[in-house]
Amino acid sequence: MSVETTAPKAAHEEAGAKPTGNGGPYSAASSLGGHAPTTQRIGRSLPFSDPRHLDAHQWLVDEAYVLDAQNYEEWLDLLTEDIHYIMPVRVTTALTAGFDSAPGMAHFDENKYSLRRRVERFATEHAWTEDPPSRLRHYVTNVRTFATDNPDELVVDSAVLLYRSRGDVRAAAVISAGREDVLRRAENDSGWQLARRTILVDDSVLRTQNLAVFL
Amino acid sequence: MSVVDQDVFRDVRRGMVPAHIYNDEEIFRLERERLFSRAWLFVAHESEIPWPGDYVVRRVLDDSFIIARGEDGQVRAMFNMCLHRGMQICRAEMGNASHFRCPYHGWSYRNDGRIVGLPFHKEAYGGEAGFRRKGQTLLPAPSLDSYNGLIFISMDPDAPPLREYLGDFAFYLDYYTKQSASGIELRGPQRWRIKANWKIGAENFAGDMYHTPQTHTSVVEIGLFREPKAEKRKDGNTYWAGNGGGTTYKLPPGPLEERLRYVGYPDVMIEKMKQQWSADQLDVIGRDGFMISAASLFPNMSLVHNWPKVEDTDDVLPFISLRTWQPVGPDETEVLSWFAVDAEAPEEFKKLSYKAYLMCFGSTGMFEQDDVENWVSLTNTAAGTMARRLLLNSRMGLLEDGTEVVAPLTREEFAGPGEAHVGYGEYNQRHLLARWADYLERPVDEVGHVEVSGVGDDGEVCA
Repeated sequence: MSVETTAPKAAHEEAGAKPTGNGGPYSAASSLGGHAPTTQRIGRSLPFSDPRHLDAHQWLVDEAYVLDAQNYEEWLDLLTEDIHYIMPVRVTTALTAGFDSAPGMAHFDENKYSLRRRVERFATEHAWTEDPPSRLRHYVTNVRTFATDNPDELVVDSAVLLYRSRGDVRAAAVISAGREDVLRRAENDSGWQLARRTILVDDSVLRTQNLAVFL
Repeated sequence: MSVVDQDVFRDVRRGMVPAHIYNDEEIFRLERERLFSRAWLFVAHESEIPWPGDYVVRRVLDDSFIIARGEDGQVRAMFNMCLHRGMQICRAEMGNASHFRCPYHGWSYRNDGRIVGLPFHKEAYGGEAGFRRKGQTLLPAPSLDSYNGLIFISMDPDAPPLREYLGDFAFYLDYYTKQSASGIELRGPQRWRIKANWKIGAENFAGDMYHTPQTHTSVVEIGLFREPKAEKRKDGNTYWAGNGGGTTYKLPPGPLEERLRYVGYPDVMIEKMKQQWSADQLDVIGRDGFMISAASLFPNMSLVHNWPKVEDTDDVLPFISLRTWQPVGPDETEVLSWFAVDAEAPEEFKKLSYKAYLMCFGSTGMFEQDDVENWVSLTNTAAGTMARRLLLNSRMGLLEDGTEVVAPLTREEFAGPGEAHVGYGEYNQRHLLARWADYLERPVDEVGHVEVSGVGDDGEVCA
């Protein structure tokens, strides 16, 4: 029996293993994800003191405020033109089934065109599902950042809890999800933009009347 | 005798709907006992379980069923409850398995439902003499039948054949589920819970063209559709046939092919439709110029067909969605929404049709979002005391004396079966609720018990 001399690797760092939590093959496997960047994480998460991690963390927190305020035009500017924004439909499967999402189906499976249409709709006076608007709070935590083989791209994991309260009668809705983002350095070095987001919701049956909001 | 006031049924039949039926514990109890225990209910499509061992788990209210394809290729629906202590034996939503084993005491069942493993059979029961394992299966759904690969079950062992239940609605069902000889493939479902009564969605999809200009203005305003005005729908018709009904759009003038191209079907699919559909089915589109849109099959399955722009071009692309409004309680519904596409459609079409679906319907769909906002609000309001006083006027399309505002279309104007009217009307909502009343008024027969065998081969009960 050999003696383990190095710290055990996290499961997602084993060769060929699916990343734990937020990443995985969902974006690449989508029929609508062909245009999307396929950049993958390399190595362990960056130290919290690393400037790249600080940048990424601040970006996510700033974005959360934009989403809470429903400043969706501003949010669109935070997204690259080739963004792939996907939220698979999670399913309950046996431990050995080898899959955890409904094949070929997602809640969101978006490019810039469809996200822009969604945002444009909110700018009309007739998007009733957000008029009166929900009160939103995105809680973003468990942030970790990874380098990639591209110095201008980072992979960022986070957990997000969305609290959505509508009206004054019904209980609020809560959605819990993990996210894996690819952030790309924007041109002219004006910060970062979101190039890919995979949202892994923790419910197989969503307890909210719709997803008229973004995670 | 039910405690539900019988006037409710009289009122819905004359199109005056007591508002409380959309949020009422007693009504819901009756629906459970008299409607969902008898009607045919959609549970899955064969394309979801194409291979031996494939299964999905679907519910009918609180009853869980495993819909599985056995090694013999046959599809079965089995009550998902172990015969021994009643544990739910399959707790995954979908997968592939040759056997299902109960985690409690290890009883195991083949994917056709037969018991194959009963630990310590001899020691615990004295073998077959104490518990006859041979021939025992999970409880099958009392009735199971399918149409175009759509699998339905009924809790009623004496349910009429599904084809008879569908009646002339099958004519319309073919447009959604049989565009080629291969039929559709289904993806999903997306599942989410809405705080709305299940009947509202069924009624809305069955016949509510009147809500479109108001509820769905936003999607027209952002240019998602080619039609510049949301009230375009009043040129279409609503039809009711057999156990379902739906809505249509009026297409611009032109031959069949041109009209199918107008909604975004490629020629290769149009050719298959021409081979697949009957002369009457083709005439509805090519001669009469009506294109199917939303529809409902009583009680709680709905379909939708629409054709938005999926890219920054003028081209549109059609999608089909199939869904069930699964009741959870009087004020809560689980929506199961599938994307459906013809199995023989070109890959590029499937991809863009999927995109069209996501943009319009389902948990994130821009149409569906605004619908549900209304339904939740209606359900809230229906719970109160004042709602018990209010009879909602659902008589659109009728004059006070019951004559129709517009005459039904003749066979020369509309080749489809059933009764169809152009313009706004609540004919279909009334049909749907009248059928609902028929079920709720009729008491159910006593249901016999199924005894898990404690009986030996000699017929004596073992102590």
